[in-house]
Amino acid sequence: MRLTRSLTALLLLVITVGCNRDPQPARKELTIAAISGVEGEALKQAAVDYETQTGVHITVTEFPYANLFEKELIDLNARTGAYDLIMLDDPWFPTFATKQLLTELTPLLQKRGQNGPDTDFIDASIAVCRHPYQSGSLYALPYVGNSQLFFYRKDLFEKHSLKAPATWDDVLTAAKTIQEKESGSGMYGYVMRAAQGNAAVADFMPIFWAFGGEMFDASGKPTVNTPEGIAALEFMVQMGKYSPPGYASFNADEVGAHLLQGTAAMSINWPAWIGKFDDPSKSKVIGKIEFTTLPGARKPGQAEIGNWLIAIPRTSRNAETAMDFLVWATTAEQMRRSALRGNPPTRKSLFRDPELVAKYPAYPAQMRSLETSRPRPRTPQWNEIENAFGIFLSKANSGALTPAEAMNQANAELEKIVQRGQ
Amino acid sequence: MPNSRRLSNAASRRHLLLPYVLVAPAVAVLLALSIYPLIYSITVSLQVGDAWSIGNFTRLASDNFFLTAMAHTFVFAVAALSCEFLLGLGLALLLNSQIRGRGFFRATLLVPMMLPPVVAAIVWRLLLNPNFGAINGTLKEIGINTEALTWTASPSLAMMSVIAVDVWQWTPFVFLVLLAGLQAIPQEPYEAALIDGSSRWQTFWHVTLPLLKPAILIVLLLRTMDLLRVFDQIFILTEGGPGFATETISLYIYRSAFRFFDFGYAAAMSFVLLALTNVISVVYIRLLRNESRA
Amino acid sequence: MSRALKYLLLFLSLVAALAPVYWMVTISLKSEVDHFASPPPWFSFTPTLEHYYEAFVTRSFAQYLVTSAIVAVISTLCALILGTLAAYALARFRLPYELDRKLSLWILSTRMFPAIVTAVPLFLMMRDLRLLDTKASLIIVYTAFNLPFVVWMMRGFFDEVPRDLEEAALVDGDSRLGALVRVVLPLVAPGLAATAVFCLIVSWNEFLFALVLTQTDASMTLPVGIAGRVTQYEIKWGVMSAAGAVAIVPILVFAMAMQKYLVRGLSLGAVKG
Repeated sequence: MRLTRSLTALLLLVITVGCNRDPQPARKELTIAAISGVEGEALKQAAVDYETQTGVHITVTEFPYANLFEKELIDLNARTGAYDLIMLDDPWFPTFATKQLLTELTPLLQKRGQNGPDTDFIDASIAVCRHPYQSGSLYALPYVGNSQLFFYRKDLFEKHSLKAPATWDDVLTAAKTIQEKESGSGMYGYVMRAAQGNAAVADFMPIFWAFGGEMFDASGKPTVNTPEGIAALEFMVQMGKYSPPGYASFNADEVGAHLLQGTAAMSINWPAWIGKFDDPSKSKVIGKIEFTTLPGARKPGQAEIGNWLIAIPRTSRNAETAMDFLVWATTAEQMRRSALRGNPPTRKSLFRDPELVAKYPAYPAQMRSLETSRPRPRTPQWNEIENAFGIFLSKANSGALTPAEAMNQANAELEKIVQRGQ
Repeated sequence: MPNSRRLSNAASRRHLLLPYVLVAPAVAVLLALSIYPLIYSITVSLQVGDAWSIGNFTRLASDNFFLTAMAHTFVFAVAALSCEFLLGLGLALLLNSQIRGRGFFRATLLVPMMLPPVVAAIVWRLLLNPNFGAINGTLKEIGINTEALTWTASPSLAMMSVIAVDVWQWTPFVFLVLLAGLQAIPQEPYEAALIDGSSRWQTFWHVTLPLLKPAILIVLLLRTMDLLRVFDQIFILTEGGPGFATETISLYIYRSAFRFFDFGYAAAMSFVLLALTNVISVVYIRLLRNESRA
Repeated sequence: MSRALKYLLLFLSLVAALAPVYWMVTISLKSEVDHFASPPPWFSFTPTLEHYYEAFVTRSFAQYLVTSAIVAVISTLCALILGTLAAYALARFRLPYELDRKLSLWILSTRMFPAIVTAVPLFLMMRDLRLLDTKASLIIVYTAFNLPFVVWMMRGFFDEVPRDLEEAALVDGDSRLGALVRVVLPLVAPGLAATAVFCLIVSWNEFLFALVLTQTDASMTLPVGIAGRVTQYEIKWGVMSAAGAVAIVPILVFAMAMQKYLVRGLSLGAVKG
């Protein structure tokens, strides 16, 4: 009957259209899951170069930060083999490594005549690629050498005879001075990310560490509510008084907007931003921003490392080809090319390379920051911990809780999480 | 009584089978896509680690995050629903009366509903930015002090902002359904009321509203189901912040499932939500059935 | 209520409804520095087409657009056909053990389960069926999404159509299905149009499952592509608004075309109770 015929036709149409995939080509192919944005851009460009050189076709699929982690975790756990290479923010690494989702790279390096990653890589960057941290087997190679820098408006500092901030107290004084003296122009002394989750935690850790706080003690028990920890949070809330209203929900884009629009004088941020400050279509503060390492307090300033690593899922069907690409992309020559495109490198030689230093005067600061950086706690439960911790940090900054209350409640919540993990 | 046909045995069997044949494909699709997820969810919710246990469910009672998220979800749903209903009804009444350009208004008022919720949320996020957004910018221009108006960053205003975005996007839907309901009401009751000398208000209360009840209940039912599951907008606008102020249950479920990889707990929470949605829907449906019998 | 007041209220509602969309369109045409400028340039700015170029030429938004269109149209068609047939059966036949009422309720209940938790099992199912990263998986899922709505709406419409017309056709020798197609469907056509518009909107705008079930550009839809512009350091407002502006056009056009049926369609059916 007519109806059955139409239904069959429709069904056939659905099947043809739906399952339409390009026929498997004879050439080799790789698929990479990358972070969308400036960090992923460098890898994308490298992939294009690689294809021109070797003919291997690389598809780079980008995801926003908010979704990349779960996309990768789900796909790797379900063993779909969809991705041959994945980009990982270093705090995610313990989760993937503990679940044994990644291919060990040392055997693959040995096949290519190397005993391990070459010594030109920055130690801190390689350390986060190992599971357990620093001493274990190698499961990834570092590609984006991000570690926090302190950004400040050198023109305003000169104007008000302030010296470059070396301690957090300097920062507070400078913020007060600048905001008071520049109040007419709607200027704020400081701007930070305090949106719950990754944003708040990332911006808080350097203050926390500088004040002597530690998230966990040697046995793994949470210790955020020590006097040092509470003092650190109190300091953060105090800095908030010199930050634009609404900072308790700020993420990187709001911080960037304030810096670029010239309405904030200082901030913690990542090197990936540096290129934007001199782009006239985006920046109103060309040439006015200076970068230095993070201020200290009780302890010397330590930046938080936030490298982007590239790993090969265990379920990749093209592990050898993927490794070829990975090794190629992390050679000095290729990393140099990507550095010229704005990607912070992970090799010592490149940070000292005269041409690069001339182009990126912040390189010495970046390298110092990277070499003295420390990572966030390497636990496979990091996501849950960061989420809970971030909620309480945000609550303290929005005034819903006092710093002491926030830290105490955070500690209790962290204890619950750690217990569940045992 | 219509004439009954005399059917042969084969034809009569075909006749009896017909409803089942017609319903089968739809039921098959739904079954396929709901049975496996249901079984999977039940299985996973009754496991903690590798062992069978009801730990996931007992954990709910002492989990402050869960209880707060549930509270937020209900506050959100009730507030959004009330606003959407009142505004939608108002608009429907306005457009049901004699005004010119009805078609134009009707068409353009539907626009917010057509945006992908993701896009709507992002646009509103930009609009509500305390320092660079157009809302505060325009308010500043007309002299209002916007220091305290940090919208999605303020614990007190964040929930309101999130509700406002939902109201903006979905009032058109409510308005559309209620308008349809209004236009389905025949003229006779109104004429009768007029003859009886009822005031406008009395006519509205005693004639319009009762006849509109089916439409009202349907739209309330559909919106409630969607509001309890709300996710896309809040995820993009505030990600549950500041400090958990706008965290609804679906966000917490999402986090547990996808960030903490705790599917059992996520599934347990979903069943609780499902049970509550069911109860509410049964109430609505009972009311609807009473109406159609009346 | 005076006429003037009515028009004023309607005008205000119009502004409230359209202003954000207008703002989105202006963002798509402003250069990045203007995005955050203060005071906000509602009208005075130099337009640029760079974001549209970036979205549709440099990046894959044109591909996302096509994928979204295919997935939305086919899933709507499937849902309409399967759902209408089912709705007709449930409206016209009394099944034993009140099966028809129970089926209706069950069909509606499938819409209640929070999508997030079904995302993972559906992902696993699609993986086993080798349908991950294909348009087919999205089509199947969206059909299932829209079915309950279609069944409920169409059943309401069918309930409104008096049986006599079909009975007359049957007496004249028509088959049951023939009567459905030739006699009843034309009567509920407005309702069908209204339902189609809603299904299209749902499929076109869906985000969560598109995110979970797609892995590469081959099958990503517009909402996923747009959300992907929310990077860690900046939200690419320009590209996103350009894509958003284009995303809304097909739906707008279709809805405007079906507009007169929307209200008439809805008023025929379920809303009458």
